[in-house]
Amino acid sequence: MKIISDLLMTALYTVFIQNLVLSSGLGMSEAIRVSTKPGTFGKFAVMISGFSVVTSVLCSLIDKISFMSDVTYAVRAAVYGGILAAVFIITAVVARFVFKASPKFLGTLGIAALNTLVLAVPYINHSAAYSFADSIGSGIGAGIAFVLAAALISRGSAILAENESIPEVFKGTPAMFLYVAMLSLAFTGFSDVNLFA
Amino acid sequence: MSNTNISFKDMLVKGALIFNPVLIQLVGLCPVVAASTTLAGSVALSVALFVELTATCVIASALFKKVPRWVRVPLYLIIGLALICPILWYIETKTLINISLGMKIYIPLIAINSVTAVHCEQFAVKNSVRHAFYDAAAVSIGASAVMLIVGATREIFGSGSLAGVKLELPVIFKGMAMPFGCLILLGFMAAGLKAFLNYRYLGEDEAEPDDIQEAEKILDSGVEEVEIFDEFWSEQTEEEQPEPEEKAQPETKEEIRDSANEDIEDFFRSIGIDYYEKGDEQ
Repeated sequence: MKIISDLLMTALYTVFIQNLVLSSGLGMSEAIRVSTKPGTFGKFAVMISGFSVVTSVLCSLIDKISFMSDVTYAVRAAVYGGILAAVFIITAVVARFVFKASPKFLGTLGIAALNTLVLAVPYINHSAAYSFADSIGSGIGAGIAFVLAAALISRGSAILAENESIPEVFKGTPAMFLYVAMLSLAFTGFSDVNLFA
Repeated sequence: MSNTNISFKDMLVKGALIFNPVLIQLVGLCPVVAASTTLAGSVALSVALFVELTATCVIASALFKKVPRWVRVPLYLIIGLALICPILWYIETKTLINISLGMKIYIPLIAINSVTAVHCEQFAVKNSVRHAFYDAAAVSIGASAVMLIVGATREIFGSGSLAGVKLELPVIFKGMAMPFGCLILLGFMAAGLKAFLNYRYLGEDEAEPDDIQEAEKILDSGVEEVEIFDEFWSEQTEEEQPEPEEKAQPETKEEIRDSANEDIEDFFRSIGIDYYEKGDEQ
């Protein structure tokens, strides 16, 4: 029971308090691009959560080996990156040759797997000293956080596109930056930080 | 796809300014938003990005043209890590340079940056090694310029110092060091760049014929690149791409000017920036 509650608490924390996309900027480029295709949100949520969970669980297991306890961050980066690349290649090979997946599907799989968000999750688990259940929770939370961010950006960009009162030079990308900044500020509010020294 | 006549200067203007990866293409936001909080950090990230992007693009152009796309993408990550990790390891263990924990995490994340995937996949593997290097260098310079401006501004207003030297500021706004502060700054920088591009390439009264010719030459390859950039994100396979329509070649200076302006406006619309109609120009 404690394992499930730890898992859920970490997932909720990753989605709302420490939204990795809006509060940390991880996977932000992909979230903005995916936000233009609301029909793909579910697919991305499942894929990113899946890759995050598998990668972070494998990295947690590797971290338990005594060799990993005092390695430099450079070695840790190589190990985590290698695990993520291996997970993606195995998944893609199975999808391509067993399930006869199309190149289009493999392209989506690549965007979902190989981004800063998925690779950052094992680092966060390591630096926060997350347990095995926490690692699963943070992996699931990363996928949900990504889709929450993409959905909020998607809705906002639709409203921005209809707003005729925005000055010409701020239309498009600049307005999008400012809108995402407001979302980021909103999530920063959950973390109880003092903005002025 | 290859355009052997295009020079490094043209590609620099295109890659660093007109198609700035951060401010126009919205790729590579993670290191800028999350890690460029100081000038020193921005310099480290810029160097890492330049080394990783140019080397990966050159290797991709030389070796990966016949490798399937779904195999190429993870190879970019492995190459990036193979380049960055030894340098980071050397700095961590063999030098006295003090790198923050954030930098130790975010520098390796450069290897999985969307800038690398997009430019390797959509330019490097379809062009010569020389042009792949030009494109990667130009894009790195564009991204680095943004990172350095953002890093310096955030350090000044967020920490009250510049390059570690304390400044006497009446108030410090710690929010500048947070992602939302960076995004606000990027919004104003993107608006400034858009206003500059508008003045430089779309202002009919201000633009000289040479400028129009220059813009057209750049856009000859530039618009094509944006189309394939969008293709990367649109998940379409090559078989699903419609055949491009043949364009009539402009002859007079006025036709060249109109053609260049239309191309620039089309480009901006293709990336989600709606320019006003010609009749409504101020």
